Amino acid sequence: MNCAELEILLCDYLDGALPAERKAEVEAHLAGCASCASLAKDAQAAVEFIGRAEVVEPPPELLTRILFHLRGEVQREAPVAAGARHWFAQWLRPVLQPKFAMGMAMTVLSLSMLGRFAGIEVRQLTAADLDPVKIVMNIEDRVHRGWLAVRKYYENLRLVYEIQTRIQEWTVPEEDDQPAANDASKGPATDGASGRPSTDRRERGAK
Amino acid sequence: MKAYTQRVYAMCYRFTNSASEAQDLTQEVFLRVFRTLKSFRAGEGSFLVWLTRLTRNLLIDHYRRNRTDRVTDSIEDQLGVLEEKVSLSTRTDGMLAGREASEVLQAGLARLSPELREAVILRDVEEMEYREIAQVLNVPEGTVKSRLNRGRAELARVLRRHKVVV
Repeated sequence: MNCAELEILLCDYLDGALPAERKAEVEAHLAGCASCASLAKDAQAAVEFIGRAEVVEPPPELLTRILFHLRGEVQREAPVAAGARHWFAQWLRPVLQPKFAMGMAMTVLSLSMLGRFAGIEVRQLTAADLDPVKIVMNIEDRVHRGWLAVRKYYENLRLVYEIQTRIQEWTVPEEDDQPAANDASKGPATDGASGRPSTDRRERGAK
Repeated sequence: MKAYTQRVYAMCYRFTNSASEAQDLTQEVFLRVFRTLKSFRAGEGSFLVWLTRLTRNLLIDHYRRNRTDRVTDSIEDQLGVLEEKVSLSTRTDGMLAGREASEVLQAGLARLSPELREAVILRDVEEMEYREIAQVLNVPEGTVKSRLNRGRAELARVLRRHKVVV
């Protein structure tokens, strides 16, 4: 084995990765060659020293900083790919301001307070309420109930109207008959009570 | 992502010997990874080799840009670190370890030529295979081993010259 061959095998020798036969050859050369022995000794010392050194750790904020810059990079490239969504977001941007969000929150708060004072019971929304089937059934139920209420109101109104009409029908002939009956009853009564006035009238007419 | 950040940062820090430069370079590496990820083909090699090659190219560019500044300001600083740590080691058991060994190693690596330094960093700090290092540096495996032997031996001699027990 010459020095050039040893230089190639030295790394594997220091790693302990050489087969026994090659290892013996390397050791034989090192025993007889001072410069290669010195090289091997120094290389071995350096490997051991590096092994004792602490592993370099990046500062904790570095990963956050990289992610922040990567996000900026993604956002710069995003407008090309975003298309309609980006256009829509640009449209909504003036509305989605903190002051609008605050205004909306205050409106909701005011309405809920008013509702509370007005006695409207607000139930806490649960995840089960967001089931599409349940929502459709709820809407259907409400529409059905609303329709029934309208029909009931209409029928009640019609009934009331019919009753009023019937009462009116009943009362109108009575009123029509009333003057005749009054006249009929009035005549004899007047006559009966005091025959004189009519006699007087007749008499005044005759006169 | 965290593990790769640690690898890239360690490589940049050991090569440039500056925490702030290492941070900027690590950030630049990941921005380049993001921009050029489409050029990575899994069939042509491992992601680690691709990432390390990208980092190494960036480090070499950085080294070439700042070569003149580095010659004037770094050697004196590094010698100062070595002397300080050596005096500390003579007060204790003489054998540096942990953070102090890391700082002395940093000072010693700065004295190596970039060619030897990168070989030592990729093998002994990044613990890459010889085959992978050969791919990263685009040289034969034998050349990697040769540079590694010379780099290690030079490092040991630098440390000994400054009375560091190795």
